[in-house]
Amino acid sequence: MKFAAIVGTNADFSYNRILLQYMKKHFKQLADIDVLEINQLPAFDQDLPYEEQSMAVWQFKQAVKNADGVIFSCPEYDHAIPAALISAIEWLFYNPKNILEQKPTMVVGVSYGTQATSRAQEQVRQILASPDCNAAVQAGHEVLVGKAAQSFNKDGNITDQAAVANLEESFTSFVKLTDALSKQTEEDNLMTLKQPFVNDAYINFPTGRLSFKEAQQIFSTIPFEIDLIDRNDRFAWFSDKPNREHVRHVNEINETVDECHPPKALPAVKAIINSFKDGSRDMVERPLIMHGHRTLIQYYALRDVDGSYLGTIEFTGSVEHIISLFENGAFADVTTGASKHGDDAATSETSADATSAASEETGAPVDDAADGAAKAKADADDTDATTSASKED
Amino acid sequence: MKITAIVGSNSKHSANRKLLQFMSRHFDDQDITVADIDQVPMFNENYPGGDPQPVIDLAQQIEQSNAVIISCAEHAHTVASSLKSVLEWLSYNLHPFANKPVMIVSVSSFPQGGSRAQMTLRQILNSPGVNAIAWQGDEFLLGNGDTAFNDHGDVKDEGTVKFLDKCFAEFITFAERNNAK
Repeated sequence: MKFAAIVGTNADFSYNRILLQYMKKHFKQLADIDVLEINQLPAFDQDLPYEEQSMAVWQFKQAVKNADGVIFSCPEYDHAIPAALISAIEWLFYNPKNILEQKPTMVVGVSYGTQATSRAQEQVRQILASPDCNAAVQAGHEVLVGKAAQSFNKDGNITDQAAVANLEESFTSFVKLTDALSKQTEEDNLMTLKQPFVNDAYINFPTGRLSFKEAQQIFSTIPFEIDLIDRNDRFAWFSDKPNREHVRHVNEINETVDECHPPKALPAVKAIINSFKDGSRDMVERPLIMHGHRTLIQYYALRDVDGSYLGTIEFTGSVEHIISLFENGAFADVTTGASKHGDDAATSETSADATSAASEETGAPVDDAADGAAKAKADADDTDATTSASKED
Repeated sequence: MKITAIVGSNSKHSANRKLLQFMSRHFDDQDITVADIDQVPMFNENYPGGDPQPVIDLAQQIEQSNAVIISCAEHAHTVASSLKSVLEWLSYNLHPFANKPVMIVSVSSFPQGGSRAQMTLRQILNSPGVNAIAWQGDEFLLGNGDTAFNDHGDVKDEGTVKFLDKCFAEFITFAERNNAK
């Protein structure tokens, strides 16, 4: 379970930061706590257009959005929550959408005095429970660490055993709350609302049928990852491929194009989508280095059989393996093989460019493979298409 | 009486600015100056070079006033961070609010008119760091702020203006009684 722990002040030194760092250490077996700072954020400005929001704001929002729950450690200034923390929360709920919606949240605080930020904590809960934020605020537990200078030792550990016990009990309860809320499935929600749902089914294609499970696992198995922006410009789906180049999170599903891209990347993304919509382009590609390897990103217009626009798919994968195959002469062999199969040698000679060569190649061997499979089926000694395909090699 | 009227939001489109501008015109027997806070940076106790100039200027303006009006916006059931930041600056090195009579008013787009932000603001003004004398009694909460003003920026509803007159008169009496100057 992953938590974002927000240091509720922009001050250089704060016991509230030390408390979160202590929680990160102390609960490392139980949860992955990521301590987030707010001092890099600009002051909230509701007049600022979304496109001009800074990268710091975007990164902060991403970190909160992709956490299973959020912990606020809040100092108290003038009997209230610090302005810098109000500002950070304003960024979280304001534009383009509230990302605290239904987010499990916990409030903790440390002060030098004995009141231990009790007033400021109540305000944070009030703010989080407002319709603007509508977070799932943990109730019934309070982490109020007073007399900070005596409560922590120089290594940043809490010395008061009663305070540690209370923190453990409160955090364990928060983990349970977060777990319970995350396990609520779409089906649970539908059942609650007395709506029917499909549990398992097949998708019938003109070329055969796939179970939902097979469809999912195919997308997880192929070496390229796929993301889909639907026709309404919403991020609709991504393939659950291990070790993705672009790390996506289910919390991003159903976000608009505007929401799921950093503001500065938006104009380029929108230009691509618009060119797919107006039909001026069908594919855009970007070869680049990602995570230290050569990667190809291709954007395709996803079109219905009648040509109408269904969405944009982003097709991304490392091409190191393909390049190394090429460098070891792999495609030279295939070309030779194909010309062996082909009756017309001129065809393979004219395929000078890689694209047409590839389309020529897919033309011939695929048919062969299908034939091979059909033959194998007839012979009833080999029903595995993969084997017959490798025979072709 | 010299009054500083603080716009409790850094937004260019705040209806709270409209309300204060209306009050400064409407109550022309008093010397009301509307003060914007959009030049005040986010409070930071480690801010390089001490208090920034807009904070020093605002503090001086409040010091020289007999009373203060704050019109507060409400976001997520609390005051805007920009207003809270100003109050933090003015309770840090400088304390111009100390024993200063303060009237709280608010406008919001919703019917409640910022009631929760007013409660929070009152609590902050009463804290030992700020130590203002917040006037209490009637509460001026202007709801549906988007439609409450006419094209000249005047509050449309006569009953509302009458109630504002009553609140303001009570506040002036309170401020006179509590004024050291």
